[in-house]
Amino acid sequence: MNFLTPLFFAGLAAVAVPILVHLIHRERKDVIEFPSLMFLRKIPYRTVRRQKIRHWLLLALRCAALALIVMAFARPFLGRDIAGTTVTGSRELVILLDRSYSMGYGDRWTRAVASARRTIDAMAPGDRATLVPFADGPQAATTATQDRAALVAALAPVKLSSGGTHYAPALKLAQKTLEASKLPRREVVLITDFQKVAWDGHADVRLPPGTVLTRVDLSDKTTSNVSVTSVELRREYEQGREKVGATARLTNKGAKPVDKLAVSLDLGGRTVETKSVTLAPNSAATVIFNAFPLPDGFTRGSVRAAPDALPQDNTFFFALSRGQAISVLVLESAAGARGPYLSRALGIGGRPPFRVMTKPISKLAADDLTGRSLVVLDDAGFPQGDAGRRLAQWVREGGGLLVILGDRASPASWSGAVAEHLLPGAVGAPVDLGAPRGGTLGYLDRSHPVFELFSAPRSGDFSAARVLRYRKIEMPSDTGIVARYDDGAPALIDRRVGDGKVVIFTSTLDTYWNDLAVQPVFLPFVHSLAKYSARYAEDQPWYTVGKVLDVRGLFGRDEPEVVVTSPSGAKSRMEGGKSVAGGRAVELSEQGFYELRTANETADEAHLVAVNLDPAESDLSAVDPEEMAAAITAPPGAVATAGTGAPLTIEDRERNQRIWWYLLIGAFALLAAETVLSNRLSRRTAASTR
Amino acid sequence: MISFRRRGKEQVPAPAVAAARAPYQAPATGFLDPKILSRIGDLELIARVVVEGFINGLHRSPHLGLSMDFAEHRAYMPGDDIRRIDWKVYARTDRYYMKEFEADTNTNVLFLLDISKSMSFASNGLTKLDYGRYLAASLAYFSHKQRDRIGAVTFDSEIVDFVPASAKHLHATLHAIERASATRAGALTEPLHRLTEHVRRRSVLVLISDLYDEPERVATAIDVLRGRGNELIVFHILDPAEREFPFDEAANFEDLESGERIPVIPEYLRDQYRTVVAEHIAALTTVFGQRGIDYQMFDTSRPLDYALFDYLANRQRLSRVR
Repeated sequence: MNFLTPLFFAGLAAVAVPILVHLIHRERKDVIEFPSLMFLRKIPYRTVRRQKIRHWLLLALRCAALALIVMAFARPFLGRDIAGTTVTGSRELVILLDRSYSMGYGDRWTRAVASARRTIDAMAPGDRATLVPFADGPQAATTATQDRAALVAALAPVKLSSGGTHYAPALKLAQKTLEASKLPRREVVLITDFQKVAWDGHADVRLPPGTVLTRVDLSDKTTSNVSVTSVELRREYEQGREKVGATARLTNKGAKPVDKLAVSLDLGGRTVETKSVTLAPNSAATVIFNAFPLPDGFTRGSVRAAPDALPQDNTFFFALSRGQAISVLVLESAAGARGPYLSRALGIGGRPPFRVMTKPISKLAADDLTGRSLVVLDDAGFPQGDAGRRLAQWVREGGGLLVILGDRASPASWSGAVAEHLLPGAVGAPVDLGAPRGGTLGYLDRSHPVFELFSAPRSGDFSAARVLRYRKIEMPSDTGIVARYDDGAPALIDRRVGDGKVVIFTSTLDTYWNDLAVQPVFLPFVHSLAKYSARYAEDQPWYTVGKVLDVRGLFGRDEPEVVVTSPSGAKSRMEGGKSVAGGRAVELSEQGFYELRTANETADEAHLVAVNLDPAESDLSAVDPEEMAAAITAPPGAVATAGTGAPLTIEDRERNQRIWWYLLIGAFALLAAETVLSNRLSRRTAASTR
Repeated sequence: MISFRRRGKEQVPAPAVAAARAPYQAPATGFLDPKILSRIGDLELIARVVVEGFINGLHRSPHLGLSMDFAEHRAYMPGDDIRRIDWKVYARTDRYYMKEFEADTNTNVLFLLDISKSMSFASNGLTKLDYGRYLAASLAYFSHKQRDRIGAVTFDSEIVDFVPASAKHLHATLHAIERASATRAGALTEPLHRLTEHVRRRSVLVLISDLYDEPERVATAIDVLRGRGNELIVFHILDPAEREFPFDEAANFEDLESGERIPVIPEYLRDQYRTVVAEHIAALTTVFGQRGIDYQMFDTSRPLDYALFDYLANRQRLSRVR
């Protein structure tokens, strides 16, 4: 016998009420006024005899009536009735095997594989099963098959992954498999550790009605796990040498403290520093390592904590290379230098450093552009002839050009198709904003990368700078305007030309047309402007498992072939192409270092990408399997409609649950008998009292 | 012969007549049922009915000779009143002898009536307070007939009413006794201590109470009264239900004075209760006996004149007041 609403059995606690009434309430029936309780207090009468139950039959009637009422509300039914006929026949089985890295805790993975094996062995002839290992996503190891040998063979190579746990995709796959099945019985075997972080309680999955969800719970009641969740790297420059300091963050997700845990910093496979840390239960701590110099090329680094029951998350990898200096060519007007402000400001830069070369624009040679990241036309007009064409070509191929329009950048100097192609509009005449106050930079797009540094409150006051004059640009549209003067004219324009970048500042970067150069914001503004124009981006020291890496960002779009070597040693080649879907992206699915190199590069010259586990998976606390089962299985009473079982009509279903009627009738009969008996007892008691 | 006395429209029968109709029958003795007495509204009438019936029953009772009857001679002691020297004996023997009588006449009799809330208890229709009231009134009437000076004190936790002893205070005494009502919790020690400030002359103190206190505390309270040479007579009034505990059904028992409630199943503790009450009465008897105090326990179901007779018989036998 089953029950539709078994929660009502909590109402059985009400049976205690009549017992308490029999023990206690009868003593409160009357109040007798007595001259003094002096003598009664002297009698030690509070013994068990006081709680003696006198009317056993009455008590039994009351308890039985309550129990019957509770059972009636629990809606009992017979299992064979609810489906119309007993569901027999072959099973459609989906074995969901969690292979997220949290399954590496202790012997969970061994138990999981053994459980999957037992499930396969228990298949009856005619049963059909699909093995679905899953972590971040499901991957059916087999199609639905009755061949147990094929299933065992598919199980053998399944290994722990570096991914986290995501139940919803796996359950969705199971749902689709079962819905497509014609077999009468359906079952999902979920072998997992039921991690709480992987279940938000609202997965949009509902297994078909009649599906049996068998839960193999591999979670542990108490867990202890230390993990290195992140490493923060900071670059320092001492006497021209670049050093990197590392700060590791560790968490203890266990209920017990961890004393003197050894944490070491490894560089290039060699331990350079070891420290110990003590972690309180469910807490975090940081370990700061001394700064270390960076050799040439890429450096493999890692922070390792002493192994525990889940060793995978005790290591955090990172890859570093020396910071690349931005090579800047400043082209000045033939009439002479504008002033030291720009070159001095770039010379101060350390993160990254700027290598500045200054030349008159008339002496621009073809080699000057080779290896350059940025060319600055400092109020110099545009080079004429071949030099101008080479510069425009260099920009289109990915170079960065910063154009400063002062009094020497006359419209005549920017005439010609090549020059006009680089600018968003024709260069116009200078515009005076009026002495003595002048104008200001009235609008800044602080979400733009150039001004992102100043987006926080009180992080840079551009309004203090007075602008006396600027050069007008006739723009057909407002696209790309990053800053404006207070009269609305564009001050800073961002433009993409080919693969390159052109940024135009319509006033000078000295004290000639404005006093921005003597404002506190000048230095960070110039650095930000130069980095953005040069399209400088620091290499990301590490990625998380599951991310997709666009190779074009590393090697350029035209690199014909890239060889990728995964941490496990698997090699793959990616042919040239522009589309990510076309094979120019790498899915980072393993923990460790990926090596990426072109066909012309040696292994030592390979580009390193460090990949780490998702730290959320380190939290091993488990969700109640019943809660998950209730959320994904069909509601009680739902009837299987597929397979051989015929759907029941509403009348049939109601008829099959009719037991509650008889229970209620029985309860009322008992209550009536109780009423008669209690009245009789009351009359007898009243007579004896009189 | 006691005739009907009109009280409003209700005609109250004389006790002798009513006794014949009352549920309580005591034909062998012809004693008065307290329930019948309770139907007589007038306290003086009740007292007169009791006392005169009592006297008529005894005719020339030897118990009444308490006034100037000679008792004995004793040797003169320095300090004795020389007016009591028997000069005739001196003439014959040439020695001083003092002439002593059975009792002093014209003494002060003060009735101390406990009117604490516990005295309002009644299981048979007659409260302990009513019974005590009748007893006090009867004794007051009785004493008045002996030319004693009578007074009354009603008290609960403090003195509520005080009528000084006087030969003319019969009505005032009866009135004070009649208007007493039990409303508050009681105590013995404090009001009896305060009473000593008012009783300056050697008196006979008649304490009527249910004595709901520990015997040691009762002893402490009465020792103060005896300290000044007063004679103390104690009437302990109890309801039959207080002695027998006849309850059947489990119930919450509420203390009339404190309001405290205790859930009780009487059938399980009746015997123990009776034992405790008997021990209490025995302890009180011991306490009073050790101090030479007349102590009498009255059950409110006992006829009042019977109780009086019983008491006076005992007193005649045991007590010699010098």
